[in-house]
Amino acid sequence: MNNEEIMRLHGDVKIPFKKMVKNIWKYLKPETLSFILGLLLIFINVVLDIILPSFIGGVTDNLVNAKEGEVITIAKLFTIDNSEISLTIIIGLTIGYVLITIINQIFIYFESMILQKAGQRIIYRIRMEVYEHIENMSINQFNEMPVGSLVTRVTNYTQELSQLFTDVLVNILRNTLTIIGTYAIMFTISYQLSLMMLIFLVIVFVVSFFFSKEVSKIFRKDRKQVSNLNTFLNENLSGMKIIQIFKKEKQKEKEFIEKNNALLKTRYNVVVAFTLYRPFIAFLQVVAMAVVFYFGIKFSLTCGMIVSFYLYISKFFQPIQNLADQVNQLQRAFTACERLFNLLDVSPEVLDEEDAIDVENFKGKIEFKNVWFAYDKDNWVLKDVSFVVYPKQTVAFVGATGAGKTTILGLIVRNHEIQRGQILIDDIDIKHIKIKSLRKAIGQMLQDVFLFSGSIKSNITLNDDSFSDEEIASVSDYVNASSFINKLENKYDSEVIEKGENFSSGQRQLLSFARTVIHKPQILILDEATANIDTETEVLIQDSLAKIKNIGTMLVVAHRLSTIQHSDCIIVLQNGKIIEKGTHQQLLSQKGYYYKLYQLQFEKK
Amino acid sequence: MLIGKHLKKYYAKYWWLFVIGIFALIGVDYLNTIIPEQLGALVRLFSNHTIASEINVADILKIIIYLLGSAFLIMIGRIIFRLTIFRASRNIESELRLEMFLKAERLSQTYYHSTKVGTIMAWFTSDLESIEEYLSWGTVMLIDAFFMSIFVIVKMFLLNWALSLVAIIPIILIIVWGALVEKYMSLKWLEKQESNDRIYDFAQETFTGIRVIKAFVKETKELFAFSKIAIKNKKINIEFARMSILFDIIISLIINISLCIILGCGGYLVYSCVTGTPFELFGTKILLEADSLVTFIGYFDTLIWPVMALGQIITMRSRSKASLERISQYLEQNEDIVHIQNPIHLSNPKGKITFNNFSFKYPTSNNNSLSNISLEIKPGELIGVVGKIGSGKTTLMNSLLHLYNIEPNSILIDDIDLMKIDFSELRDIIAFVPQDNFLFSDKIKNNISFGTDNPTDEEIKKAAIFSDVHSNIENFPNKYDEICGEQGVTLSGGQKQRISISRAFIKNAPIMVLDDSVSAVDTKTEETILKNIRDERKGKTTILISSRVSTVANMDRIIVLNDGKLEAFDTHDNLLKISPTYSRMVILQQLEDEVKGGNL
Repeated sequence: MNNEEIMRLHGDVKIPFKKMVKNIWKYLKPETLSFILGLLLIFINVVLDIILPSFIGGVTDNLVNAKEGEVITIAKLFTIDNSEISLTIIIGLTIGYVLITIINQIFIYFESMILQKAGQRIIYRIRMEVYEHIENMSINQFNEMPVGSLVTRVTNYTQELSQLFTDVLVNILRNTLTIIGTYAIMFTISYQLSLMMLIFLVIVFVVSFFFSKEVSKIFRKDRKQVSNLNTFLNENLSGMKIIQIFKKEKQKEKEFIEKNNALLKTRYNVVVAFTLYRPFIAFLQVVAMAVVFYFGIKFSLTCGMIVSFYLYISKFFQPIQNLADQVNQLQRAFTACERLFNLLDVSPEVLDEEDAIDVENFKGKIEFKNVWFAYDKDNWVLKDVSFVVYPKQTVAFVGATGAGKTTILGLIVRNHEIQRGQILIDDIDIKHIKIKSLRKAIGQMLQDVFLFSGSIKSNITLNDDSFSDEEIASVSDYVNASSFINKLENKYDSEVIEKGENFSSGQRQLLSFARTVIHKPQILILDEATANIDTETEVLIQDSLAKIKNIGTMLVVAHRLSTIQHSDCIIVLQNGKIIEKGTHQQLLSQKGYYYKLYQLQFEKK
Repeated sequence: MLIGKHLKKYYAKYWWLFVIGIFALIGVDYLNTIIPEQLGALVRLFSNHTIASEINVADILKIIIYLLGSAFLIMIGRIIFRLTIFRASRNIESELRLEMFLKAERLSQTYYHSTKVGTIMAWFTSDLESIEEYLSWGTVMLIDAFFMSIFVIVKMFLLNWALSLVAIIPIILIIVWGALVEKYMSLKWLEKQESNDRIYDFAQETFTGIRVIKAFVKETKELFAFSKIAIKNKKINIEFARMSILFDIIISLIINISLCIILGCGGYLVYSCVTGTPFELFGTKILLEADSLVTFIGYFDTLIWPVMALGQIITMRSRSKASLERISQYLEQNEDIVHIQNPIHLSNPKGKITFNNFSFKYPTSNNNSLSNISLEIKPGELIGVVGKIGSGKTTLMNSLLHLYNIEPNSILIDDIDLMKIDFSELRDIIAFVPQDNFLFSDKIKNNISFGTDNPTDEEIKKAAIFSDVHSNIENFPNKYDEICGEQGVTLSGGQKQRISISRAFIKNAPIMVLDDSVSAVDTKTEETILKNIRDERKGKTTILISSRVSTVANMDRIIVLNDGKLEAFDTHDNLLKISPTYSRMVILQQLEDEVKGGNL
């Protein structure tokens, strides 16, 4: 993996704006109709919303001027040349108000639902795409990324991307329309007052924009500190036993107080920021009203006009504050998009060749031909490794930590791509076998057993319902797991908590054995699979493994020589090279590296 | 206000902040009713003068001074209540969190055995949050809803009682609707939250176990399972959106229609007054001027927010009450391992350990894990413990640490009842290497020195050499400063085990226990560590649990456990004669043959 790939994984590569828009358009395109419809409704919605306050102004005018018998402004639009003050106008305006409100609300319902549904469909599509993409990443790509960040990409970032369409962009449009519309109407009522209001518009926008920027900085800090504190708590609650037996309560308390106080300080900052902003904007709004009152009369506006203006101001202030906020949101949404698109740009390192074939039955011949391999270039982990394993053989790999044992096993299932040489199974280069059919045939028992939360049964079958209960029980018998499972209250339905923490490491290994065996592997790979199992159980397992007919070939890595000494062939590795090869007896008589290891292990007396 | 035993002391500490804040709020509430009155006053000016230019400037200025004066005082009031109430609630949240953490440190392993970390985390996060929310916003909303409603309703009735009767109906409607829907909505909200959590958990688990999924080619199956969850999430989210949109629409309709009814009725009343035939209700003439109607509508507008808040307050309260209950229950949890009065001090601990007819049962289990164990370990002995999976090896050694309470006099350290020794002193003299090798995501250096105070770099290095991990650490880019875990190097199982051994060794305690601590290291390393134990721990008691006979064969004596009972406790040679379990283990490993038999 090169540096750029790693940066892409972490989402740190800048994506050109043009490409960004193109990518976003990809998700928007299937929903074009919904968006056009939604936007149209928003437009109607905004217009109706803007008209409403003039109704109240109209009523006021009619009432105030009742004595004079004059009807002004909007009332004129709705009544045909009626120059008399009349109750009909008041009632008519009132009913008009109700009708428009109802129509408006119906439009709001459709508009919101259309956009929400489109947004949810977009989330779903991106989520599936991202999830599938992550699932297919190569193992070393996984090693680069903490699981938490991958999960955030599936959950939060996808949400933010869809919010870009349903919330941010739509609301920016709605608020801009509202501001322009309101301003236009205000302008028709009184251009002088409207020009004065422009000053407020600018002040509120600028103040809100900077406030929102500042506050999102504080919030980011807050989120970071919260997640910091929670990570600390989670870790220390999980490791409380260690803290208690090493008597570190005082020190941990100190660390906790430090983090807790830092968070409190940030939260004070949030309080102070809002304390300054919110009341100030509210005050500004009243100042704007005062200006309207004073100059409204100065400019000889009617009473109804002033009332309308008063109402428009409150319709005016909110969207400006929102708009400032949304401009900042837009920036955040873009960052989320950038991370997602970056991730989707990383292709898995190991892929099926175009001419790859499905293989149903493997006999189990495995051959390494001059294999060279390095995780990162020039640091060869395997140097020119060649060996052949014939069907029905068991081969063991021995060597110090870092000699390359586990690497060899990982290469057979194509967790990584080799740089030079060839790996063949049944004389077919594994590059030409579909990865899935390869992995299906090869059962892997790894050193670190991973159990999923669920039941014992679901962990053995991996949620595959095609296995019968009898099958599960007989496999568990085979690997000697049944003796401890049957002691549990709910037997095979017993709960397995996160990471299988309610089972000992030995029990976990037995469950992992059962899981492997029930999936009927044709080739079996055991990487320190019995390290935590006592000798007696281990021998029982090995006996039953030998009896399983479908297993053609077995490859074993174990540091306990007792585990491997009955193998058909033992391959001794040192620094990525094969230094000795042969049966237990042959190697002992060679008196080489293996012999030394053997002496160490068995001649302590 | 939220009442609870565990909040009392915080109220006692911060009551003055709340009192100042609440007074400021009440002031704000009152001043808020003055703003709409000014619009009414302005309308009145118009009613009295036909042409705008005839209006007296002094009259306008009076209105503006009232307007700006109240607005300014409102601003001050708002600043005050935010700075007092919100500050107090943040303080309480923070102090409560600390109190909870200290509790977590005092709770014993019995508690952690029965309570998942995830559950405790929820108390620390969402429950604490909901309490804070109620203390701050809950207080503000409650005061607002109560005082603002009273001020406004009184003023409305004083202005025009008949119109007030009309206005009160929709208000009751909003309250009832709000309370009903809020409850339903918060249920729906929880459902939505759960569905989001499910996506999160699912992704978290598959990505963590991705190696298994790849190894068993379950990608498609997992993708399918994920799509099911995602589709369900989509549906729930759409349903939730529909609910909240409908809820908003209905509220908005109620408000707007009420406004129109007030406008219509009020307009009619004003019209009747102007035409000289005032409307009569219950034999009283109802008089209403245009300006009063405008003021009245302003009042009504002011009333909407506190009334709508009522529904929210009810839900918020019930949610935070439940949270407080959970937290209280946790804080009142019995601490079963406490410092005892007049403990016996071990002045010069030798490391003698006596088990005296010792039996043990985990609190959550029905059967004894260990029964009637009696044995004596002499000071300075090197002891091995073997037995099959589940035979009780770990339980036996864990009981030395007083992580669980045991029968008095069933375990003695240097002939003193373990239960009579203060547990913190006890844990001082035992260096423990647990099976699960838990390391903190901190520098390797700090992980090794975890159990001691400020050791020198030399001592840390010595401990790392002891467990043969020094050369590995030297190979890391940042050596001893490398961070363990996700943010730093990924340590192999064997490396974790060895760091965990160093961490215990550096304590240089009279008793050291290693629980299957060399299972993941290769033979050469194992041999080095065993040799170091023999050399460096000479004269100090060391106990090593293993699932392998080969690891413990050379120890002074070996404890053989079988199904929770002591089968034998003797030297390797004697065990071969007297312990069936042990000799079977040996035969299986073919140790006898190989060592003595000369296949070589």
